[in-house]
Amino acid sequence: MIDRNQENLKELFEKFLSAEESTKAVGDVRKAEQILRENPAPQPDDMLIANIKAEIAMRLPLRTADVFRRMAYKAAAVAAAVIIVALIRVSLFEKGSEPEKAVYASIIPRAIWESDDIATDDAELAVLTVEIEQIEAEVSALQSGENGTDGDRAAEELQMELIEINSAFWKG
Amino acid sequence: MQKWPKMAENDALVQIIIGCKNGDAECFSQVVDMYASRCYGYFYRLTGSKDVSDELLSALFVRLVEKIGSYRGGSFESWLFRIASNIFHDYLRGRQRRTKLLDERKKQLESQILEPKYADSEKIDKLQVQLHRLDANTRELIMLRFYSQLSFKEIAEIRSEPIGTTLSKLHRGLKRLRQLMEGY
Repeated sequence: MIDRNQENLKELFEKFLSAEESTKAVGDVRKAEQILRENPAPQPDDMLIANIKAEIAMRLPLRTADVFRRMAYKAAAVAAAVIIVALIRVSLFEKGSEPEKAVYASIIPRAIWESDDIATDDAELAVLTVEIEQIEAEVSALQSGENGTDGDRAAEELQMELIEINSAFWKG
Repeated sequence: MQKWPKMAENDALVQIIIGCKNGDAECFSQVVDMYASRCYGYFYRLTGSKDVSDELLSALFVRLVEKIGSYRGGSFESWLFRIASNIFHDYLRGRQRRTKLLDERKKQLESQILEPKYADSEKIDKLQVQLHRLDANTRELIMLRFYSQLSFKEIAEIRSEPIGTTLSKLHRGLKRLRQLMEGY
């Protein structure tokens, strides 16, 4: 038994009731619906229907304006969201990056500093090295008494020579 | 009552609804012509007042214009009568608020709902009197079923209750209504 709602009422009732009870229930529904059909409700007045249609026609332009306004609000909201996300990303990038490292430049070029061949790298340094070597030789000669001179005088001369070298070195 | 739309008319209805979504006033007029009678009957049987039914029917179609954009397919009747049901409940809530403001007793409100007052010009029909002897919930269910032509599954969804509950309530309600009508 298919009703106007395209439902098989008997089948539906049988999910909850016995076959006999379902048949009776469907009968009750049919009879009551027949009563409802025999006692129709009043119809709406033609004037009411005309007023409703007029009201709809009046509201439609407002609705269209509303739709555009809503679209504009949505576009503005999306733009604001994009800007906010971009700002957040920029600030995160700034925080996330490593702090700047100070780069120290050497006064002495690395090649010279690490080189073993001082004489070719810096002439003044070569002269100093030679002088230091001479002093070392003289000191060792004094210590061993090889040169046969007065030890005290020689020491004074050596000291004077060291002071002279020192001041000459720092003067450049 | 207007003839029930058939399945073959579904395509035409889809075209009308597309027109409504595009803001075509003529399409809205067609929807009004198709559903005004059934929706009016639904409101009238629930309120028992022509004036209130006029008001609710107008409110329904105004809301239809506002909400048509949110209709996403499926049973149009189900969607429309869900709105109609909401409008009826809004009306009841409004009555309750007004009643509270006037400091009337709750019983007084219930008696007003159960026994609607008719204007002198309105003919009180037998069915309307008997319908108001049923409880409000059952009365609403019977009217929703009769005027919306929705399936029990759809009605159960609108009412957020199991289909067995809907079937049982409707069966008991209709049986009681029949008894009342025959014993009148």
